[in-house]
Amino acid sequence: MALLEEPIKEVKVLKNYIGGEWVESKGEIVDVVNPATMKTIAKVPISTKEEFDAAVEAAKAAFPDWRRTTPLARSRILFRFKQLLEENFEKASRIQTQEHGKTIDESRGETRRGIENVEVACGIPTLMQGYISEDIAHGIDEWCMPTPLGVFGIIGPFNFPWMIPLWSAPYAVATGNTIIIKPSSEVPNSQSFLAELAEEAGFPPGVWNVVHGGRTVVNAMLEHPDIKGVTFVGSTPVGRDVIYRKCGETGKRVIAQCGAKNFMTIMPDCAVDNTIASMMTSFFGNTGQRCLAAANAVIVGEDDDFYNEFVKKVVEAASKIKIGYGLDESVQMGPLRDPAKKQNVVKYIEIGLEEGANLLLDGRKFTIQGDYPDDCFIGPTIFENVRPDSRLGSEEIFGPVMSIMRVKDLDEAIRITNANAFGNGHSIFTQSGAAARYYQYNVESGNVGINIGITAPVAFFPFGGMKDSFFGILHTQGKEAIRFFTESKVVIQRWF
Amino acid sequence: MALNTCSEGISFARELEQAAAGMYERLAQLLPAEAETFRAYASGNKKNIANIEQAYYGVITDAIEGCYAFNIEPADYAIDVTVGAELDRAAALAKAIAVEETMLRFYQVAAEQAKGLMADVPRAFTLVARKRGERIEELKSLAAR
Repeated sequence: MALLEEPIKEVKVLKNYIGGEWVESKGEIVDVVNPATMKTIAKVPISTKEEFDAAVEAAKAAFPDWRRTTPLARSRILFRFKQLLEENFEKASRIQTQEHGKTIDESRGETRRGIENVEVACGIPTLMQGYISEDIAHGIDEWCMPTPLGVFGIIGPFNFPWMIPLWSAPYAVATGNTIIIKPSSEVPNSQSFLAELAEEAGFPPGVWNVVHGGRTVVNAMLEHPDIKGVTFVGSTPVGRDVIYRKCGETGKRVIAQCGAKNFMTIMPDCAVDNTIASMMTSFFGNTGQRCLAAANAVIVGEDDDFYNEFVKKVVEAASKIKIGYGLDESVQMGPLRDPAKKQNVVKYIEIGLEEGANLLLDGRKFTIQGDYPDDCFIGPTIFENVRPDSRLGSEEIFGPVMSIMRVKDLDEAIRITNANAFGNGHSIFTQSGAAARYYQYNVESGNVGINIGITAPVAFFPFGGMKDSFFGILHTQGKEAIRFFTESKVVIQRWF
Repeated sequence: MALNTCSEGISFARELEQAAAGMYERLAQLLPAEAETFRAYASGNKKNIANIEQAYYGVITDAIEGCYAFNIEPADYAIDVTVGAELDRAAALAKAIAVEETMLRFYQVAAEQAKGLMADVPRAFTLVARKRGERIEELKSLAAR
């Protein structure tokens, strides 16, 4: 199948977008490499603290006027933004594939999820309404109104370069705040392109800012007294021990969405073919680099025939997955983001073997569709007889590795699922309503799937997370994001 | 090689619709008496593409199985859209019916395979299949005159 055209054709040094200007950074410049071709597609600055501080000043200066801009006027800019995102849907999707490696279907899905958040935020005139009680005492009225706070920081991860900042950004600006986005330096092009569209949509200078970089920018964001809050998506050690802790110390509100080890429970009454399609998507989609990717397949029941036949079909399906460059529409699984991530997955395959798990499909042996270097590619891996308390069965791998576990009943499946430290996106596949209800009631997971392998909430629901998968109180997306980005100001009124 | 991803399925549907639209535009020039019908079909094919793409781009997210939507062998749905100057009315209508029947079969199979996985996409395919069925009846009726 012919490749779709690459949108990034020449290597440019990306600029920061500060105060409505595209500004060159004085920081170190590093390459952005397409993981499928291993060609450099851009260069990104590792911005300095001073450059981040300049962005804060610009965002702070823009805040008073932006706050005074009526919600309806802010909404109109968001509608223009949404229209531009639709017009540039395909380009945005192909940029994601080119810089991240995911397949074009996955990138288009990511683009759509991002746009949905802008669509929800367009409803800000009603989403941001407060409430009032007349005569809380004789002649005294009281009301509560959500008000914006100021400048927010948004830290994006590498695995969803376009969508994840959009879980926060539209709500932050819709509520009258100003923002500074720090994209992952591995995949910075998507957010640069998004900022171009934000500029074209008419956000006033300083409302929407992008500062590329790494740890220096993150630390500056966490330390800066004028940053009112931070949203973060990334690993649990960083989210819990750095972002959440530091925001607590500096008095910032925080949403830290972190790691996962998702369990998919498979009941013997599941719809087998559809379940297997969902498993392929959940375990191997985005090459396993999703916080909602399933990692452990928990097969319920003592029926050996069902177990053996089901596992055989799963292995067959996984072994047929087409691996290659995501701009080839026939490709079902792209590369991992970089060689180090591949080495990490290989390490876990070796750990699985050392722990005595049975390797049914070895991802270290694979065929790439097309002539591409194998630096970042890996095939789907399937282990069985994995213990839930083993490293393979309990730690986040962030790669296309399925660990099959067998349990005697649903209670045992829920018990081993809940024993894991994470609680992000567990799911059950069954045709039984009673089993599904029992599962969703008892499982400890911020997002629960019933015959859904990727439990990604749509934009008007919060993106949940429990235990070591989430640190904070309110979540990104929808009404909870509106709450996060606003302070409840209560007014009590009496006239003499 | 079999088509598996939703993206491939949509691209294949687009190719079929565009090829068939081209055929109808050529048939309209060849057979002026049926030109209005053939031009309407060509225009209808473009609307079909728009409707299918709208369904796909509107619903594609990571919660559905975009990379595992189909198992379709494109060779099973090859269509002959060549229009030679020697083609008479009967042969032209027979060719159009054959093309439509193949495309109907593609949409029916694709809709069935993606049912339960791809949300609005199989529904869009089913709607196009229904239109194709109506078109086949109309072409057969024309051929019988």
